[in-house]
Amino acid sequence: MKNWLRQDLWRHVIGIAICLFSLFPLYLVVISSFSSTGSLQLSSFIPTEISFKNYNVLFNDPTIPYLRWVKNSLIIAGSVAVLSVMIGTASAFAFSRLKFKGRKTGIQVLLLVQMFPAILAISAVYVIMERVYKFAPAIGLGTQPGLLLVYLGGAMGVNIWLLKGFVDSIPAELLASPVLAVVALLSFIGTFNEFILARLFLVDMENRTVAVGLQQFIGGQYSQNWGPFAAGSILASIPIVIIFLSLQKYIVSGLTAGSVKG
Amino acid sequence: MNYLIRGKVALFLKVIVVSLVSAVLLMLTQSAFAQREYVIAGFLALTVLALALTYLTKISIPLKFFIPGILLLAAFVIGPILYTVTMSGFNYKTGNIISKEEAIVQIKVRGIEASPEGVAFDIKLGKSGAEPAILVSDITNLKYFVSTASTRTEVNAGDVTLNEIGVAVQAPNFAALSDSELSGADKSYSIVKFKYDGDYFIALEGLETGVVSRQILEFDATDSFINLVDGSKYQDNGRGNYALANDKAAILEPGWRAPIWFENYSKIVTDPRVREPLVRVFIWTVVFALLTVLTTFALGLLLALALNKPIRGRRIYRSILVLPYAMPSVMSILIWGGMFNTEFGAINTLFGSDIAWFSDPNFARVAVILVNLWLGFPYFYLISSGSLQAIPSELQEAAAIDGANPRQIFRKITLPLLLQILSPLLIASFAFNFNNFNLIYLLTGGGPRSELDGEIAGATDILISYTYKIAFGTGTQDLGLASAISLIIFMLVASISLYSLRKSKVLETFA
Repeated sequence: MKNWLRQDLWRHVIGIAICLFSLFPLYLVVISSFSSTGSLQLSSFIPTEISFKNYNVLFNDPTIPYLRWVKNSLIIAGSVAVLSVMIGTASAFAFSRLKFKGRKTGIQVLLLVQMFPAILAISAVYVIMERVYKFAPAIGLGTQPGLLLVYLGGAMGVNIWLLKGFVDSIPAELLASPVLAVVALLSFIGTFNEFILARLFLVDMENRTVAVGLQQFIGGQYSQNWGPFAAGSILASIPIVIIFLSLQKYIVSGLTAGSVKG
Repeated sequence: MNYLIRGKVALFLKVIVVSLVSAVLLMLTQSAFAQREYVIAGFLALTVLALALTYLTKISIPLKFFIPGILLLAAFVIGPILYTVTMSGFNYKTGNIISKEEAIVQIKVRGIEASPEGVAFDIKLGKSGAEPAILVSDITNLKYFVSTASTRTEVNAGDVTLNEIGVAVQAPNFAALSDSELSGADKSYSIVKFKYDGDYFIALEGLETGVVSRQILEFDATDSFINLVDGSKYQDNGRGNYALANDKAAILEPGWRAPIWFENYSKIVTDPRVREPLVRVFIWTVVFALLTVLTTFALGLLLALALNKPIRGRRIYRSILVLPYAMPSVMSILIWGGMFNTEFGAINTLFGSDIAWFSDPNFARVAVILVNLWLGFPYFYLISSGSLQAIPSELQEAAAIDGANPRQIFRKITLPLLLQILSPLLIASFAFNFNNFNLIYLLTGGGPRSELDGEIAGATDILISYTYKIAFGTGTQDLGLASAISLIIFMLVASISLYSLRKSKVLETFA
């Protein structure tokens, strides 16, 4: 009994220390969210009370349309996930399975394009969508459908590339395998997490995604709005964390497969 | 038979869907064309053509599969990339945003001067016949007239209807605009010169006041503006402004976006006000990206080594350790932002310190690296533990038999093999952090920066956040320069990524 402890002590010390590091911020947000003061300043690191005041503010304060934000995020990220996988799989299938002229060039262009970080073209996207707004106000700058289109286009490069890798490696009859669900969920997480385009596009309070909404809500004024922010960020994170943990197996194998296959 | 019907139904549905999509796109094409957005209109028209050709003919089967994806890519990735290239060749910044035609109109509107007496009237916007007209009330002299661009018609005081403050609101041959028309009228009415007397006309100031003014800048046929008062001549300076021939700094506002070819690029080298902050930011970007990769990899590897044995509670450790990676990073970064707060933040409370984390350049840099470490180590923990298992244990056992101690085995065998397996991912991580915009923007906003010298680059700004500030910041927004820098970043990142890909040999499969 003593023996395993002595032998593996250093492993446990490292494991526990880094677990504490991992948990520290998460623990803090959780106790802040249940504190009644709602302030950034903690009276103690050990919680003395459980109050739902911050959650109450989040759901009932008309100046913080938190539920709208969550709904917006779910709709946008959900649509991007489903549509980008549908469209992406079709393209990936063509690149992977069908023979046609210019296939090799196409793949090389795709490879280059999917390397271009979307954020670098952000001023161009902004100006183009500003112009689109002039003749089609429903899909231009400042609208959710416009943002959706930009996300779809932006996700296309990486998704086709990723899906092509999958399609290459599996037999045709398995195309409807969970792999597609995994790519869709990854795309969902990525879109949910996207901040900067959403920030540029969605100016109206009601239109914002939860990431933009909460960021603007604390907007540097950490001390004032910390409690409701903590509650909001926890609630928004839970579904993502659950999706991620349930996909862990696929994500990890994808990561390591990447190291061998690129 | 059944199949046939299905085939016909499918064909029917296909035709309907293709026609609906095409109809919407054609409508958009038309309105884009009407707004003189010819490039966008052209792209939309090509899209319709491509869709119709692909789905209604048998031109190519692969095309049927990838045309939607390719069109989206073209519209929102390749299009913006090409547009970025174009913008980088233009003088395209605050003051030079609009087209030349729009700029000329605006200079004309601005190039007027109020009469020396400063006469102003209460007015009412409306129409006389089909023409824009104003009903002018000279309240002091109780005189009223309707004025259009070409005529001025006096109206007898007895014929007008006055409101409670004595401004005429109705007159014969004059139809006032309704409230809903009024809201959109500003743009079209503000460019009309309503007739007054001789050289003088009435220019709108808001929607209810007209100022007696005269034109002092006149556009002439030689593509230049003449100042009618002193006779000076402003000519197109070829860089998006009308300027005096002998004084290049005397320009008329606004300018327009004009091609200046490679000047945005050459400015990066030659203009010290651009070069110096950029070099500083570049150095920090490289240091930042290197440090993030080193720290996250080191901590992840340490963990992977510690937990590379089925010790008790390994699964619990593992599920706790991936939490930072599973959290949406936007939320985590904002949470850390609160924790680093000087007065109330948990970190200063925990250590009893009162460090102004985000006001001191070095502390801010430490904070950025630390937060990134928290965000990034689980990734390297996961891939390192995966790769450790992929290293054949015979190698290590053989070394042990030859008398190597564990440290030697790690340094001479395990680590080199790991690095070889992981190097493409390390490079990819470097490339990712090179552009880790969210972290910088959400945590420090690039700051701190010295407010005094008007410099926009802060101590933790990386190239991408600095570029964002150049394009969308609070001061002068220089889209041309930002585009040029963006493209340079792309070259850097693409060459890093290509190098890493070549290393991982993926290119060989279709090279």
